[in-house]
Amino acid sequence: MTSLRYEDEHALLRDEARRWLAAHAPLSRVRRLADGARGDDPQDWQALAALGWLGLVIPENYGGSGLGFTHLAVLLEETGRQLLPSPMLATMLAAIAIERGGSEAQKARVLPRLAAGDLVATLAHVEPSGAWYPADTTVTRTRGRLSGEKHFVWHAPTADLFVVPFRDDDGAARMALVDATAAGVAVEAEIGLDRTRRSGRLRLREVAVSDDAVLPMSAGAVFDTLLPRACTALAAEMAGGADALLTMTATYATTRVQFGRPIGSFQAVKHPLVNVLIGVEELRSLVYAAASALDAGGDAGEAELLARMAKAHASDLYVFAASRAVQFHGGFGFTIDCDAHFYFKRAHASRPAFGDASHHLRWIAEHVIAHAG
Amino acid sequence: MSESQPSLPDLQAFRQHVCDWLSANAPADPGFTLPQNMLAVATPEQFEFLRAWQRQLYGAGFVGAEWPRECGGRGMPAGTQRIVDQEMGRARVPFMLNAIGLSWAGPTILRYGTEAQKRRYIAPILSADEIWCQGFSEPEAGSDLAALRTRARRDDDDYVIEGHKVWTTLAHFADYMILLARTDPNTAKHAGISFFLMPIRVAGVVVQPLIKMTGEGGFNQVLFSSVRIPLDALLGQEGQGWEIAMTTLSFERGASEGSAGSSATITDSVDRLIALTRALRRDGRPVLDDAVVRERIARFAVEEEAIRYSIPRLHIPGLVADRPAALPLMRKLVSSEFTQRLSDFACELQGYAAALWIDDPAAIDAAEWQRTYLNSFGVTIGGGTSEILRNILGERVLGLPKTR
Repeated sequence: MTSLRYEDEHALLRDEARRWLAAHAPLSRVRRLADGARGDDPQDWQALAALGWLGLVIPENYGGSGLGFTHLAVLLEETGRQLLPSPMLATMLAAIAIERGGSEAQKARVLPRLAAGDLVATLAHVEPSGAWYPADTTVTRTRGRLSGEKHFVWHAPTADLFVVPFRDDDGAARMALVDATAAGVAVEAEIGLDRTRRSGRLRLREVAVSDDAVLPMSAGAVFDTLLPRACTALAAEMAGGADALLTMTATYATTRVQFGRPIGSFQAVKHPLVNVLIGVEELRSLVYAAASALDAGGDAGEAELLARMAKAHASDLYVFAASRAVQFHGGFGFTIDCDAHFYFKRAHASRPAFGDASHHLRWIAEHVIAHAG
Repeated sequence: MSESQPSLPDLQAFRQHVCDWLSANAPADPGFTLPQNMLAVATPEQFEFLRAWQRQLYGAGFVGAEWPRECGGRGMPAGTQRIVDQEMGRARVPFMLNAIGLSWAGPTILRYGTEAQKRRYIAPILSADEIWCQGFSEPEAGSDLAALRTRARRDDDDYVIEGHKVWTTLAHFADYMILLARTDPNTAKHAGISFFLMPIRVAGVVVQPLIKMTGEGGFNQVLFSSVRIPLDALLGQEGQGWEIAMTTLSFERGASEGSAGSSATITDSVDRLIALTRALRRDGRPVLDDAVVRERIARFAVEEEAIRYSIPRLHIPGLVADRPAALPLMRKLVSSEFTQRLSDFACELQGYAAALWIDDPAAIDAAEWQRTYLNSFGVTIGGGTSEILRNILGERVLGLPKTR
């Protein structure tokens, strides 16, 4: 069993994140930005870089802070709570892929710019079919030219750099770094339900990609190390969102009066909210267990198991918390005037990312049955 | 390094010591069915076997590991008792018989008792020389505990007890009872209650066994008619009983720590479920080939891991800062419902065989899962029902208005 680690520095980061988000990213602004052309505020980007958040898990020798996944979980729980509309998580995941699988030259060229907020990067790993493992990639490189399509690419319309799994001439799956401005790159914005995290379709037509823009590590190997990290990060963000819904709904249930009593006094409302509470607390235990296992750097199998468990649990719980939030806000909850719908939509958009519950449960069953005494 | 802050290597060495001791001293199969927990100690032979086992554990220093030496405890560092409990669960050895004394009555006496009371009662709890039971519930006071009617009337140098308690686990073997009784019927419901350390092997106490739906004995109803007990049987002050009882319940629900030894912390239910399924077939194929079964096993595994990591998380203030009361108050609720659902599933997987009971030669694992499932209701009902605990969580942790 992994030892959980949480020190003063983690609490300081949490407090700093809460302060900044309360001052700069209230839900009223999320609501305003959601109606805008891009969903986020590009001015945040330099502020996030200055706070050191963009480079949180990028090693120090590449311009980051070199901190661990417990730090990342702490931060993402807070940004998830506020639905911070920002390509921060997408850029972090791209950075992790490059850091794990890139060459020395690639890391030196790209990572400092990601940490400094000079570039927005994103993973373009999902196929038009919805498949998302590198083995299923339909983008191909033929004689140095990359062609094909990726969908559901977070922040595609505003990204500067895409990390794209593809099938190479020799049949191997690899990952390429593709500039948004390169000839043959086209992006089409998707009309998504979640207006706080935009996405798009990436179309590549004969894009010149030389070997120095291809990560030396195979796409499968990059994914093996990326997946538990992405699952942990997303689960942390989703824990924050579910927690915000819980607080919002509990508050509403103490003030909304029907039949002469606050509705939160009715067990038909109270008990499902307690079930959300239990789910949130269990999710946090799993998230910090997964983060601690990743930071401890020991048994990779255990870290992956915990990370997949966290993402499986988060996928179901966030959607459940959102459904109860809408339901218990009554008619108001069904309108766009209530904030619940922002979280509801984020919950549904986050569910498939890096695998929903049924995806991970299949792997978890395999793992626990193989390892049971 | 202070004694209360043991270093990691010390605790690891202690764990190894416990582990070695248990593998050398685990009791042999007694040749009769042992109860799964203290709720089902029915026969004198079960009782004597378990009493001897607790004495042996006490001799080894594993009971009351962290309790004060002057009361018969071992005064060892924080964390040692948890290690004993975990290793006992892992070794699947029998539980500690005097569980109500060790986990509920004892910690309450340590907190509210006079020096004289602590010196009088604690050591025999640890050694199992005096067995304790709990007299809280009454026929008309279950979830609404403060509606209790049992009276304690002051009469010169005695209290005189009249009343009726139910669901009294271990009362048929017990020497003492933690008793809630009304000392003042003329004041507010919660304010008129007092808490007693009551001898029950005295004139006027009648213990009548109740049989559980498992067919096992183990709990009782207890009738008091004009029972005289001394004034120093009172714990705390008159009228302080409700406050003290809430402390006892927080121990009972695992919300407060301080037990002198638990009935073992079981953390391998999913492993045991998988072990069961390996031997089973359904529709002509191994059960483990069934995708639906596999999904359910995986869901149990996720939940078990969350419960398992919630225990160390409980001890890290930064990780529970937002809602410090949530994990402690969730503990009994979550683990009892988890056990109930998992053991029900283990029964379902057995198909028709799940309907066989302990003594049938064809029963799988001597109907262990069936017993676990049936007994699980004792835990989702006793010590605060799951429904009451959800009210408490909603009100104390989420700040929701009271349910009335």
